[in-house]
Amino acid sequence: MGVKITDYNSPNIPTWCPGCGNFAIHASLKKALSEMDISPSELFMSFDIGCNGNGADMITSYGFKGLHGRSIPLAIGAHLANRRMTTIADIGDGGCFHEGLDHLVHAIRSNYNITILIHNNASFALTTGQATVTTPKEKPMYGLPKGIPERNISIPEFILNQDPSFYARTYSGNLLQMGEIFKAAIGNKGCSIVEVLQLCPTYNREFTPEWAKENIKDVNEIENYNADSIESARTVLTNNSPLYTGIIYQNKTLPTFYDSLESRKDSITELVDEVKTHDIKNLLKYFE
Amino acid sequence: MPSQRISVKFGGASGQGINTIGVLLVRALKRDGQRVFAYREYPSLIKGGIASYQVDISNKEINSSSRYCNILLAFTPNSLNEYLKDVKENGIIVYDRKDINLTDEQKLYIEKKNISSIFLDSENIALEAGGIKIMSNIVVLGFLWRILESKLDILVSVVLRHFENKNVDLKAEENCVRAGYNSATFRPEYAKKIDKPKKEMFNNNNGYVMTGNNAIALGAISAGVRAYYAYPMTPSTSIFKYMGEHAKETGILVKQAENEITAVQMAMGSMYMGTRSLVATSGGGFDLMSETISCAGMSETPLVVILSQRTGAATGLPTWTGASDLNIALKAGHGEFPRVVIATSDAKSSYTLIQKAFNLAEIYQLPVILLMEKQISESIFNFKEMPRVEKIERGCIEKTEGEVQRYQITDTGISPRWIPSKDKKPYLANSDEHSQDGSSIEDSERTIAMANKRLKKLETLTKELPEPTLYGDKNPDLVFVSWGSVKNTVIDAIEADKDSRKVGYLHYEYISPLKTERLEELIATNKRLVLVENNQTGQLGNFIKENIGYEFKEKLLKYDGRPFFVEDILDFLKN
Repeated sequence: MGVKITDYNSPNIPTWCPGCGNFAIHASLKKALSEMDISPSELFMSFDIGCNGNGADMITSYGFKGLHGRSIPLAIGAHLANRRMTTIADIGDGGCFHEGLDHLVHAIRSNYNITILIHNNASFALTTGQATVTTPKEKPMYGLPKGIPERNISIPEFILNQDPSFYARTYSGNLLQMGEIFKAAIGNKGCSIVEVLQLCPTYNREFTPEWAKENIKDVNEIENYNADSIESARTVLTNNSPLYTGIIYQNKTLPTFYDSLESRKDSITELVDEVKTHDIKNLLKYFE
Repeated sequence: MPSQRISVKFGGASGQGINTIGVLLVRALKRDGQRVFAYREYPSLIKGGIASYQVDISNKEINSSSRYCNILLAFTPNSLNEYLKDVKENGIIVYDRKDINLTDEQKLYIEKKNISSIFLDSENIALEAGGIKIMSNIVVLGFLWRILESKLDILVSVVLRHFENKNVDLKAEENCVRAGYNSATFRPEYAKKIDKPKKEMFNNNNGYVMTGNNAIALGAISAGVRAYYAYPMTPSTSIFKYMGEHAKETGILVKQAENEITAVQMAMGSMYMGTRSLVATSGGGFDLMSETISCAGMSETPLVVILSQRTGAATGLPTWTGASDLNIALKAGHGEFPRVVIATSDAKSSYTLIQKAFNLAEIYQLPVILLMEKQISESIFNFKEMPRVEKIERGCIEKTEGEVQRYQITDTGISPRWIPSKDKKPYLANSDEHSQDGSSIEDSERTIAMANKRLKKLETLTKELPEPTLYGDKNPDLVFVSWGSVKNTVIDAIEADKDSRKVGYLHYEYISPLKTERLEELIATNKRLVLVENNQTGQLGNFIKENIGYEFKEKLLKYDGRPFFVEDILDFLKN
């Protein structure tokens, strides 16, 4: 019997604001996973602290709601221990680009076979609206009535500069596209990064469904768009109107971290299968 | 019969290869039936400075150093100046640099102490023997071997074995050893000056020689550790080296992480998923790991972290020993949660305790911090037998049918834990306060119940842990109390001074949760209790006071980056 979308439901009632993008993100993710026939017992999800992290008990999985900024290394540790599990690191723009930016850079560089799902609502929402690297300049934010004094970081440009295995952008108002992109990201063998432009009716009010409707376009609308080409990816990203979504870039030739390890080359088991007393007799000879 | 001891010190600069000849000497002495202990001092730089390698030699097991040496082999003028004052009466100095000019004061000291000062033209001897300049070290080693009146064949075979897979001219190495040994500079009276300890041969080439970090790596491998997450920090780094160099053979996944936060998060993720993974660091790196230790405590995820200590706050003395991080091991991490703190003392205990640490972490589902010191991590210990392999105990359930919940409240405080797999019930590990099924909660009643459940584990665990061990005299007048490498020095001192005094030593291996019964018995009988610690404030003493209100009246504290030397204890006993 196949996996049903309802297998992923949890008994807990969501605590997000009405209109929060997380409702749709969760619905699309559950749909994608069930369509891929991945059961909740075959899924590991790590969660950050923030509104995304408040979804940890809204989806059934082997989950771990950890610490702020740390969902990526936590997911990597879990993934390396048992690659039979589909692994998703769930994180916000604050946790990913402030508290834990080092983890993102090294995850892309190392190319673990995991999916990093970035909820970008252009703020630290759960702590009531502080600025992040994606908050528009001059927008008054918590503690910064005149807005951020610094420049922004462009998430897609930053990620592309690390030469990722997979980068896609989607929008929380487009359930169907989100679902398809989640499937492609999970299916990609390598470090797949999905940035979701997330509606936040409380702290990101400028980003409305109406604005999105006018300004967001699917990259597939570009004739012969080639996601294998980093140049094409850069070209579509230099322009913010329209904002392109879809699979922006994919490099299928990058080897994964695990596959590059000499010590694991001939292993047919996973690390979780190997916890037993290992004989050290040969190793001891050196110390005699 | 009290133990006999002589000490040989190589002094030089970092990058001169004195570690290599130190290790060769240790291996050769062991083969020759001596018991040895080796201790390194070196500066935090790659080349230059003053570095030393001291080998203490005895007729009995020893695990600490003397502050003094009988023979000093100085490879630089600076090291001669630094260590001359440590050369004992009737001792020997060997130097091989023509530019060493002794001051009048030094000459007077040498004369007064009847020290033989020998110039060995090792560089020329090496060249004449067909070697190259750098082999002058090996010439000095050969010369020393002659002074020690040991069989040349043993040293030759040890040297050849050491270099056999390295890109060196083996014949030239051998010729240099022989040339040093047979050098015309040698005089029989040199050998007569050194009162060598008796030899004793036992099986398997006279046991093992290894560092504490070697033993930790071996223990981790025995315990089924399958992932090692590294970030370099002295003195823990050589565990990474061993794991990395043997990864192909052991199949262990070795990953150098971008920082300690990552390393420990990866370890926690791997442990959650059901393998065994290890991280090791020193104080500064441990600070970065402390949020994760708190998270492991709250989410009840097994975690083992090795904290090998050096001296000082901030960067301190980065390559020197100390035991000043007990406080952070006991208190690191926000909030209240159960943890276990264990301290090793030597190679054997490191091998055993790392295995026990994983069992405790998994059975009780909490963070275990295993304390070491540079003195343990990097010194070379010599012992007869490896301790037995500990049985792996994980405390996991195999089936998750029915109403089983991950954070179920139980009498012992220990909830069912299972290894994530397709055929089992998925669950959320949660750093938020949570209900029995792992869902986030904020209500008072369940918050209290869950906090109590976690603390209950400590109550269960405390009953299982052993009391501290009392070494030395069965009915002592004086008892030293300590943890870590202090044990080695105190026991060596008791062995050296056995007949004169009734001295005991109470050793804490399991520090938190603290066992106090044996200590309280000693307090009740009015024994003279002396706290000995390699830190400034007596951190174990403070923890004991926090637990039972007892304050040590006498404290012997040392915090200069040096370990306790045997004389530190013997001098204390004399006064």
